[in-house]
Amino acid sequence: MLLFTEYVIRGLFLGAMYGLLALPMSLAFVTVGTIDFAVGAYALLAAAIGATVGGTLGALLGLAGALVASLVMAAVFVLLKRAGHHDTIMIALSSFGLAVAIGSIVLASWGSTAFVRQGLDAVWTVAGIRINPQGPINLAVGLALLAGLTALLFGTGLGRMLRASAVNAQGAELAGIPVVAVQALIFAAGGLLGGIAGLLILYSSGLDFTAGLSLTLSGFAASIVFGVSNPARGFLGGLAIGVAEALSAGYGSGAMTALIPQFVVLLTLGLGMLGAGRYTGYRP
Amino acid sequence: MTSNQTTSVTRRLAICACLGLTLAWPSFAQVAPLKIGALLSMSGPAAVFGIPERDAITVALEDLNSQGGVNGRPVQVIFYDDRTDAAEAGRGVNQLVSRDQVVAIIGAGTGGNVLAAGPIAMRLKVPLLAPVGTIAATDKKNAFLPWVFRVAPSDAVNIRTILTDAAKDGNKRIGVFYQEDAYGKTGVDVAEQLAQSLGIQVVGSAPAPYTATDLTAQAIKLREANAQAIFMQVSVASLGAGFVKAARQVGLNVPIYGSSGLAQKSFVDGVGAGAEGLRVLSIGNLVYDPSPGEKKLSDLLRAAGKVPQGWGELVGTNGLVAAIAAAKSIKGEITGQSMRDAMENLCGLEAYARGKGCWTKDDHDGWREDALVFTEIANGRLRTRK
Amino acid sequence: MKQLRNHANSAAALLIAVLFALLLRDPVWIDVAVVIGIQALIALSVGLSFGQAGLLSLAQAPFAAIGAYATGIISVHYGGSPLAGLAGAIMLPALLGYLLARLVIRLEPLAVALATLSLAAIVEVVIRSWDSVTGGYVGLSGISPLAWAASPREYFWLVLLVIVIVIALYENLLASRFGRALNTLRHDRARAMADGVPVVAVSSAAFGLSAAFAGVAGWLYAHYVSYVGPGDLGTHLSISVVLMAVIGGASYVLGPVVGAIVLGVLMRMLPAQELQGLFYGGTLILILLVARDGLLGIAEPWFARALRAIVPQPARVAPEDERRT
Repeated sequence: MLLFTEYVIRGLFLGAMYGLLALPMSLAFVTVGTIDFAVGAYALLAAAIGATVGGTLGALLGLAGALVASLVMAAVFVLLKRAGHHDTIMIALSSFGLAVAIGSIVLASWGSTAFVRQGLDAVWTVAGIRINPQGPINLAVGLALLAGLTALLFGTGLGRMLRASAVNAQGAELAGIPVVAVQALIFAAGGLLGGIAGLLILYSSGLDFTAGLSLTLSGFAASIVFGVSNPARGFLGGLAIGVAEALSAGYGSGAMTALIPQFVVLLTLGLGMLGAGRYTGYRP
Repeated sequence: MTSNQTTSVTRRLAICACLGLTLAWPSFAQVAPLKIGALLSMSGPAAVFGIPERDAITVALEDLNSQGGVNGRPVQVIFYDDRTDAAEAGRGVNQLVSRDQVVAIIGAGTGGNVLAAGPIAMRLKVPLLAPVGTIAATDKKNAFLPWVFRVAPSDAVNIRTILTDAAKDGNKRIGVFYQEDAYGKTGVDVAEQLAQSLGIQVVGSAPAPYTATDLTAQAIKLREANAQAIFMQVSVASLGAGFVKAARQVGLNVPIYGSSGLAQKSFVDGVGAGAEGLRVLSIGNLVYDPSPGEKKLSDLLRAAGKVPQGWGELVGTNGLVAAIAAAKSIKGEITGQSMRDAMENLCGLEAYARGKGCWTKDDHDGWREDALVFTEIANGRLRTRK
Repeated sequence: MKQLRNHANSAAALLIAVLFALLLRDPVWIDVAVVIGIQALIALSVGLSFGQAGLLSLAQAPFAAIGAYATGIISVHYGGSPLAGLAGAIMLPALLGYLLARLVIRLEPLAVALATLSLAAIVEVVIRSWDSVTGGYVGLSGISPLAWAASPREYFWLVLLVIVIVIALYENLLASRFGRALNTLRHDRARAMADGVPVVAVSSAAFGLSAAFAGVAGWLYAHYVSYVGPGDLGTHLSISVVLMAVIGGASYVLGPVVGAIVLGVLMRMLPAQELQGLFYGGTLILILLVARDGLLGIAEPWFARALRAIVPQPARVAPEDERRT
């Protein structure tokens, strides 16, 4: 039982990372109705800069780098809107283009070496389980950001404007909301959130230039699995996937280890926790 | 624009691109250079090794040409990026041979890519100098085996060397941590095959994908299996470093052996202070404790503004040196066929790396145990174990 | 949309194919063209599932992988003929695609995309773990070449032929009742249901068929490269083919083929190695900015005008007919 608990706790720490990556995804979906596939690349860029410079300054510069990258995405978004794109899949695909470009810039500027930095060395022992503080820190940061986002989205006027823009862009425009500008802001916020995730990964396990796409896909899965309608579900999705992965890594063997989390995702989707009520065809 | 025009325009542009990649060669006027291809993974996941390989081949080529190339004839290396993609590797062989007319190819970048490039190399009659450890690359059942020459110690040799060492220290119960790819899986498979003859037992194995962000679950699993020592068959530095940290965190305090894939600067930097005494098998020790030949290569790299990374540089230059040695031994015309034949008679070959390469008709695994050194992590460096 | 969507597609494809076949002589470009052709087939499968049925799939490359492995296994382990392999390469992906679609078709589009991504991961795990059959991580090498298309040039003709056949099938499908149902469905599910379209069955069948297209591409891949490994037809390619379809114009029959050619040639011409991704990503964004309905979307008005200039204008047709096509 203790062992099981230990796996669950490890899974939660792991899942916090996915949840963190899911936050910008859910945010973009709730407010813009699209997915920013460059989130993993923002994380990579922040980690690369953070690893090179180091310390608090490195973290700040890393965040700045991620922010700049996401501003590029925001600009692309505005240009796409100006060009008359209403199909949100185009925005998602161009964010993929940006992700590829960032990955390439990282490879060219830093080479193929891994980015890893020493986190905290201490080990806490809680009820026989040895825990490095980095795990709880990641979880706490994730929860704090989630709380902040939820408050922003559902408790403030800006949040209402954001949600209105997603639900009915035309209506929001008529109501005097500068929809495109507000939505562009969301991409910038995604850059900051992605950057924070990247820095935490840098101090937890490290990553290399190939990580961008897989981080994006992890965040994507987390944000969708319980439904993409709000960031809390995204974060929860991340935790659930993390726990499923840790348990299957612990108890599964060989191929099972990799298969179980995928079946969990399919099963969750198949069970329709998303609400099959959207059967009549909600198209973003 | 008709498709005819499109074709000729694109062809011209492609040729320009190739010329851009080709290393211009200053002196040796008049003599047509001997062309060798380098089909490496310079983008995609295997770029971790492909880029150091390219850098090292570039600086070594300059060095070898200044020593007279092939009996006074300069050598030119034409690079082709296989993008860590099998179809692209096949296409690379095609282009290097039919357009650039190379007589030998260093590559492909990964074991899978060698398997894809092999049949085409055989058809076009050009030998591949494979800088990979993948056992299947020189499997006897490959029809194209006569055309593939390994320039790195094979994974089987690496794994046996590590486990023999672990067993010698009395570690009977071995846990294996491996990455989810051909390299990693080979680690478990070979360990299980060798277990009986070495008197060890594989008590548990834990895989992880390249980009895992938390490896504590894997470490707990091996801890619960009561392993006396851990063998990591990993070549992704962040994955190896992540596992070592996770092991320390969950209280898995047993000796850890790293496979030669981890003998990279970024792994050593990544594991930090908590890894004193961790043993890593290494192909040479380019970065921290170079042999005279390695020192020379390392100096060349630094002079060119590159930071030596590890074994990629060594196996890459093994390929270049072997190709030049084969060409030197040919009396008549140098063709793919004559290069291949010459390679089967190369022995006692000394490159920048340690060990002597030797191929025979029946054995295309050129480098063996003498190319390997055992190292230990000490003060953030890989110290060669005496 | 009409001009490029009527039966002119397969004729145009045939014409272009013949031109290519006659004009392309350089061995390296023939090799490039074969691989682009194979990717174009997978992109066509995206055109059907995404462009027509509105289902974004990130599992098209794994479907091709299943096709490649099916024929590879038959060829390597049983010495079977490539035609037996072709049957497997069509049926296995079709069945799997159909079943997956039945399971998830009711979900919202992003959830469908995630389900396909999970399926892709499962396929990859099965491929790399089933050592005795798929060759595990090492892959299958020594897949027999096609005796009747042995040289790269003949193989190129074969690929062109297959593409033209698939386009003709695709076009006929769209002109059928099934195709019209699919089209209604994409624009308005509620309307389709009200019209009595069996939504789940139609969408699933389209998805299964699209998986079969990808399977054929995998078959071509396996017999061309002679090797297939677990990483070869993976998520990266799945995303690339979606990009190809969108860039060319996913709702046009020929759009995915155009996209595949443009991106494929672009990849060849961009400087390779580290910075390639930068150019690739940048070009991608540029094309998306400029061509909102894909490149064929740009070409269409121009094309229509040219056509009007050559062909005498037919009598004005009733608006109902216009809506139907």
